[in-house]
Amino acid sequence: MTGEDIRPSRLHWWWLGGAFVALAAAGLLSILLGAVDLDPRSVLLSVVDRLPFADVESGLNGRQEAILWELRMPRVALGGIVGAMLAVAGGSYQGSFRNPLADPYLLGAAAGAGLGATVAIAYGTSVPATPVDALPLLAFIGGVGGVAATYAIGYSVKAGRTPVTLILAGVAVAAFLTAIQTYLQQRNAETLREVYGWILGRLSTVGWGEVWLVLPYVAVSTIVILLGARRLDVLSVGDDEAVTLGVDPTRVRLVMVLAATLGTAAVVAVSGLIGFVGIIVPHAVRIVFGSSYRVVLPLSIVFGATFLILADLLARTIAAPAEIPIGVVTAFFGAPFFAIVLRSSKGLGS
Amino acid sequence: MNPALSLRGISVRFNGSRILDSVDLDIAPGEWVGIIGPNGAGKTTLLRAVTGVVEFEGDVEIVGSASATLKRRDLARSVALVPQHPVLPPGMRVVDYVLLGRTPHLRAVTGPSLHDLDVVAAILEALTLTSFVDRDVTTLSGGELQRAVIARALAQESSILLLDEPTTALDIGKQQEVLELVDQLRRERTLTVVSAMHDLTIAGQFPDRLVMLAKGTVVAEGDARAVLDPELIRMHYAADVKILDDGSGGIVVVPIRAQEPIIDSKN
Repeated sequence: MTGEDIRPSRLHWWWLGGAFVALAAAGLLSILLGAVDLDPRSVLLSVVDRLPFADVESGLNGRQEAILWELRMPRVALGGIVGAMLAVAGGSYQGSFRNPLADPYLLGAAAGAGLGATVAIAYGTSVPATPVDALPLLAFIGGVGGVAATYAIGYSVKAGRTPVTLILAGVAVAAFLTAIQTYLQQRNAETLREVYGWILGRLSTVGWGEVWLVLPYVAVSTIVILLGARRLDVLSVGDDEAVTLGVDPTRVRLVMVLAATLGTAAVVAVSGLIGFVGIIVPHAVRIVFGSSYRVVLPLSIVFGATFLILADLLARTIAAPAEIPIGVVTAFFGAPFFAIVLRSSKGLGS
Repeated sequence: MNPALSLRGISVRFNGSRILDSVDLDIAPGEWVGIIGPNGAGKTTLLRAVTGVVEFEGDVEIVGSASATLKRRDLARSVALVPQHPVLPPGMRVVDYVLLGRTPHLRAVTGPSLHDLDVVAAILEALTLTSFVDRDVTTLSGGELQRAVIARALAQESSILLLDEPTTALDIGKQQEVLELVDQLRRERTLTVVSAMHDLTIAGQFPDRLVMLAKGTVVAEGDARAVLDPELIRMHYAADVKILDDGSGGIVVVPIRAQEPIIDSKN
């Protein structure tokens, strides 16, 4: 036996290629279908028309052009970005805490963002004296602040500090922030519906503003997480053994959690709390393709995007012209789908 | 010659109580030292101090350089630990598990080179694990698992191998198999071996030298006949034993009842 006979787990290009095909299919479907169905040929021509030096007649009228470029396209792009971020952040949290139930909202990010959003909705929708929309800003600050508080409390524990200490600190922070959020919500009952709608998540957007707003955060956070994949594999043998293999588990956890939190807070700020994506996508990938984070994290990005684009398609078509909150769709269709994947798997031990 | 491993005044405190109290120990290159002592004597803690898993007072020198000045990666290239209760990640294949041992040799981002894979392949062959490469580590039997964990430690290509009670979970045949393997690897690769050991007879047969710890301090040190003394064992283990010749120059330690058992006198 030589090194060439060794087949370590790795990401095969055809897995990634297949995942991108699924993503492209979901994206295309989502662009074409809706309250107004668009003709595929015209959409293609319209895309070609937007390329430099090309000038073709798409056959779409002005209203259809607007639907395509200012409603459908940005919404599909945003859905993809949010889904990719939540899924890869979930994978990062699960590896950092060696806990299959960890999700991107674990350490107080959701409660903090929820409080920020409630304050914005209840007390004004723009930052005084500026045209800046307060909701995403306060949701982002709340999300990052929640996780920062969790870390501060977790690190103040001197003896017996473990990853579980941090999770428990997150439970305390989340409970506290949720209490404040609920109080504010009750005091401003007239905004209840709006707050509730935000908490259930929504991707309704006009134009590309949100896409450009979150893209830098998501890009940086995703790159940092992908670069840490090998270290997460080392962490899977526990903190003590990771040390004997030359890895500092506390530092790895800090970097991975911060990156995941930054990206999560950014997407939560524009999409609200879309649940379930961060748990089911990485797990479904793990069951089908193996448990190495070098496989799980990249595939979670692509399948997370695919999953959320499809969920959003259902959310806006199933009860058209009304929209169902996307968080309801991810759980309603995601849970049975995940149960099927789980049943057909060979089982993963614990 | 410089010692491979030199410990000076190693003390470890946990929640105010001393687990180790000023332990001094020099271990020569290629030597096998067995650490014995009753439960709670500090055997595991000593190994954990050497690998940098627990904080300690005192100085650990590894082949002449103070471990406190080494980076984690460099320490992991010099010292490998086979833990007593390894954490097994569900779904991880044996080949990936053994490859984790290459971590201190890899850059964080790039994957393993062909050289890294060659090292792993040679170790898998030496430990007769080639037919297990695709098995999930959580499905291995006790003996197979112990070989896989040793393989991961060997993949670190360190000159010092620490083993924490490497045979506790194994049947008597597998115990001998694993320890013979360690001895063979030690000779082939001139490894320095330090093993915490539970079974005193086995401790008397494999290591070159024994160190007995009790309540965090070294209470005896020397060859098997000097350390495996009935008085010492009674004092520190609170056990009554007899030391017998094994017929080929070695000794065996057998527990005996302090009081004469009541013998049925019908025969």
